[in-house]
Amino acid sequence: MSGTYFDALWESHVVEALPDGNDLLFIDRVVAHEITTPPGAAQIEREFEDMLYDPSAIVAVNDHVSPANDAATALQARHLRRWAKRHGIRLFDVGDNGICHVLVPERGFVRPGMTLCCGDSHTCTLGAFGAIAFGVGTTAQAGAMLAGCVVVKRPNVMRIRIDGNLRAPATAKDVALTVVRTLGADGGRGCALEYCGTAVDAMSMGERMTLCNMAIEAGATTGLIRPDGVTRAYLRELGEAFAGEANWYDYDCDGTYAKTIEIDASEIVPLVTWGTSPAQSIPLGALVPENANAESAAYMDVTGGEALEELDIDQVFIGSCTNSRLHDLRAAARVLRGRRVSVPTIVTPGSQAVKRAAESEGLHDVFQDAGALWTHSSCGPCLGMSMGVLAKGMRCVSTSNRNFPGRMGAGGRVHLASPIVAAASAVLGHIPKPAELEQLAGDAVCA
Amino acid sequence: MRITGNVLSMPFDNIDTDQIIPAVHLTVIEPGELGAHVFTGHAQLASRLQAAPQACVVVAGADFGCGSSREHAVWALRERGFRAVIAPSFARIFSENAYNNGVVPIVLTPSEVQACAACESVEIDVERETVTTDRGERFSFRLDPLRKTFLAGGGYLNYVHAKIPAIRAWAAARVSLRDSNRL
Repeated sequence: MSGTYFDALWESHVVEALPDGNDLLFIDRVVAHEITTPPGAAQIEREFEDMLYDPSAIVAVNDHVSPANDAATALQARHLRRWAKRHGIRLFDVGDNGICHVLVPERGFVRPGMTLCCGDSHTCTLGAFGAIAFGVGTTAQAGAMLAGCVVVKRPNVMRIRIDGNLRAPATAKDVALTVVRTLGADGGRGCALEYCGTAVDAMSMGERMTLCNMAIEAGATTGLIRPDGVTRAYLRELGEAFAGEANWYDYDCDGTYAKTIEIDASEIVPLVTWGTSPAQSIPLGALVPENANAESAAYMDVTGGEALEELDIDQVFIGSCTNSRLHDLRAAARVLRGRRVSVPTIVTPGSQAVKRAAESEGLHDVFQDAGALWTHSSCGPCLGMSMGVLAKGMRCVSTSNRNFPGRMGAGGRVHLASPIVAAASAVLGHIPKPAELEQLAGDAVCA
Repeated sequence: MRITGNVLSMPFDNIDTDQIIPAVHLTVIEPGELGAHVFTGHAQLASRLQAAPQACVVVAGADFGCGSSREHAVWALRERGFRAVIAPSFARIFSENAYNNGVVPIVLTPSEVQACAACESVEIDVERETVTTDRGERFSFRLDPLRKTFLAGGGYLNYVHAKIPAIRAWAAARVSLRDSNRL
């Protein structure tokens, strides 16, 4: 059949084709969190008699600042809580919550063939399940809650074919950073990235979520992976009812893509960002480019030709919607087992369920024995809203997805890397040289 | 609709929404108080804003508004008095948010953007889709014709609200298709 998997899925949700390439797209699931939902919910209450299209299609999570750390964040969480209760919306709250992009899949709220939106740019994470999932603003999310649809421009489909064997200590995070580096920070604008190839086939659902999570960092509308046996096995673990509709697994897509990018997984090495865009990464041991963007280099206090390993770091963060799932924590724990961190290190599981699973394997002991802080789940330091905020000039190696200026605190500097590289950085107090990583990682394969 | 006023030049690519409004200010339920914090995410942007306190049009580099979906970025610009942003390109979500809040996202070529950045003030004719600089240069742009209708406040939600009967009919037909195993 002609057309791509994405196209078929998109077309099955078009309620009405609108001018200029826009579509009125039906949304099967709206994910609502406490930062971006309350203003829209309040507007619907004020202007549309509190009407919702289908409360059962909404899932709400207090995740960004959890528990609240001041009166303002307490009011946001209470607003979401009261709104959810009033409408009978399923809410995951303090004690039983998680980052929405981690929690939604593990509770079976995303299935192949669905469309989802959320007032959060990393909603593209859920594309790992063969769903169309994308971030929107508060107004568009409110529209989806009010009317069940969003007005969205249909993206072109770009195929990202990743063949070959990914070799440890490179991980899915390094694949994601490679894609962003290859496309550039806006090279995916107007596109959906359809990832395929033998390296993608070999990835677990957790790794696929890491890969899809960073599609937005290339400016793409979303990223997705056609569902397969790995997807089905994950969903069957949750229960047969979660496995979704069979036709999306069997969909034959020999379609035409707007563009194809080919990446050889066997050539991917651990990467770390030197600048203020997720696209600005270099292999461990490489030097900051001589032609480095001047503003980025100045902000990060690096110069062309400099080795990142020379820089002292102030903090390590292992967590976020990119790298906070069980396999990420296992990978970090393999590096930290029996060692001590030399800088403050915060390890934040992506959900309370991940936390419990990690603790049942004793990973919390590994982290705490190493001197790291083992926290409850939340978005944590990633966006500088609660714990682990950086002050001006402080430098953090982070497994999150954004190294933007001020992201983790005004003037703070962020180097993005995999859990393995972050854990090794925590031990060393600096970004590892390749040989140091080899030595520390040992068999730390991100399974 | 006409927008006439001073230009704030931010000649950098990839100005992300964390720089436009840092996450520490995302704790509001009503967006009215965000204007004081616009462009505080990066010192070099904050100092440029201080030097152009009367500006109502941002002129920026490519991929403006990338990153976080936070509509707070547009709310902060709007509350600070900005009514349009001129750039060679916009991130998708920012552009949608701008239309939905009456801030006009204007795409011009890089050289046209440079010409706007070099002048003191511009006049924007939203209906006719033209920008005229105080040096007399005139550039044409093109808005998304549907989203142009959202620029008046509340436009987006009213638009989808009016579609509800059609959406419900579509969804009912889809369910019956699904029940008969044809989907």
